[in-house]
Amino acid sequence: MIENAYSIAELMACVMARNLEDGEVAVMGAVSMIPMAACRMSQLTHAPNLSYISGGSGAVNPFLDPLVFSSCDEENLRSEAALALPDVILLEGHGKRFDVFFGGGLQIDQYGNCNLICIGDWKNPSLRGPGTVGLPFLPRSGRVIIYTTSHNARTLIEKVDFNSGPGFLDGPESWASKNLPGNGPALVVTPLCALDFDEETKIMRLKSLHPGVTVDQVVESTGFKLVIPNSVPTTPEPTQIELEALRRVDPSGIVRNLL
Amino acid sequence: MERTSKVMPVSQAIQRFMPDTCDTLAVGGMHMHNNPMALIREVIRQQKKVKRLVTSPSACINADLMIGSGLVEEILTAYVGFEHLGLAPNFRKAVEKKTIKLLEADEPFLVYGLQAGAGGLPFIPYPKGLELTDIPKVNPDLYRFTTDPYTGEEVMTAAPIKPSVALIHCQEADPYGNAIFKGSEFTDRQMIFASDVVILQVETIVPNLAEKYGSTKVNVPGFLISAVVEAPFGCHPTSSHGYYTFDEAHLKSYLKSCKNPEAYGEYFQQYVTGISEKEYSGKIGLDKLNAMRQKGDVSFYD
Repeated sequence: MIENAYSIAELMACVMARNLEDGEVAVMGAVSMIPMAACRMSQLTHAPNLSYISGGSGAVNPFLDPLVFSSCDEENLRSEAALALPDVILLEGHGKRFDVFFGGGLQIDQYGNCNLICIGDWKNPSLRGPGTVGLPFLPRSGRVIIYTTSHNARTLIEKVDFNSGPGFLDGPESWASKNLPGNGPALVVTPLCALDFDEETKIMRLKSLHPGVTVDQVVESTGFKLVIPNSVPTTPEPTQIELEALRRVDPSGIVRNLL
Repeated sequence: MERTSKVMPVSQAIQRFMPDTCDTLAVGGMHMHNNPMALIREVIRQQKKVKRLVTSPSACINADLMIGSGLVEEILTAYVGFEHLGLAPNFRKAVEKKTIKLLEADEPFLVYGLQAGAGGLPFIPYPKGLELTDIPKVNPDLYRFTTDPYTGEEVMTAAPIKPSVALIHCQEADPYGNAIFKGSEFTDRQMIFASDVVILQVETIVPNLAEKYGSTKVNVPGFLISAVVEAPFGCHPTSSHGYYTFDEAHLKSYLKSCKNPEAYGEYFQQYVTGISEKEYSGKIGLDKLNAMRQKGDVSFYD
């Protein structure tokens, strides 16, 4: 028997996993404990033919036996194959190799643009972030799953101070004019809710509320005007099968204790 | 005539192969793994100045410690941070206070640039869509645009990166510099190929390396290597893939020390400037290091 109580980070992993389809190929970068757990638990449940790459290590289908913190940890090389980093960059540039790219940022805006560079003006930042690494590849990836562990009005803002991971740019016209190989941001997962994007306006839209969260709470915690449908469902709680898979991947509770 | 061994002590390697002011220094390793810390600490001890520091797509304490030493004028990077442990304090402070010039880059820039530098290519064009970030606007010198001769469309390019010196960690090398990476290579091989001078630190010198692993596994050719330094646990506090894991407690104490200048000065005195590299492992404690080795010895590489 497993403990049925779940943490918010575990629910986030389940929301991501439910979005992944059998046979898809996904890629992710640093500090990706939740996406990695989501990919591996998908392989163990509904998507045995999913492939995923832990970016910097180049590991293809790490067994996560068990999940560890660092994306480049040698433990991730307990995997099916391992690529040199320049090979991963080739695959990311190709435009058709990856169905899913996991992204995020210090700031995420209404069109799904991400910023890992700075808060404020680049020349005179109030906060210097770590840097963007591979996020500029977002427009060349099938779809983008964005996630953040802090849903507040400073993180989810109307326009990023610095665009280091392009989403739908300045909206539908600018996006359409670029004719990019990727389909843009598809899903945003936060501790409060799941969001997708309005087909017409390309603005972020409330998709489901995590158990116990209200629409008002999401609206108050968001720094721009979300698209809110008339009825918003509740995010289904993790199933017994999902929790079993997740805890097999993460027995020490790295994801579980994250949030 | 006898073949010449390239093995030498760390002090001699840095003294001999690193100019007092280095135009472009590349440091290997990614995140908290394979950082050539023994070489970096010695560079700081010898107070070698660095005009431009180039990192892998994700630097960690390798860049942060050098920036904290005040020896670096500008940095070309796509990330300096401590992954799940947080932001890089000296990098952050230096950029916010403008005591360092930042050449903002993304991951492909460093990969393409090193590839261009290694192969004598004038530049490498970017795939479409990557010009949509704000990075080319803040780094117009290195991100230039040209016309694609095949389509007539405008295309962004990455400038070649040609480091004057690279500091790299491999797990094992023979005395002539032929070397292997037991785990991930990151962009370290590209740095080796693109740099004029390469100083290599290794865990162990293995005279019959090609015999031990087979020559196809030995993908760093010795003729690109200027010096080989035997530095067991030389990546500490970062990991050495296939040898030992990273020292999270030490990394945390480093991050804590950065919060005030006095504590940082103490850290420097205790682990860098106040001791020789030979004394470093004793300072950390062999029991502790051996425990990290136990945890990090992933024998399936062999």
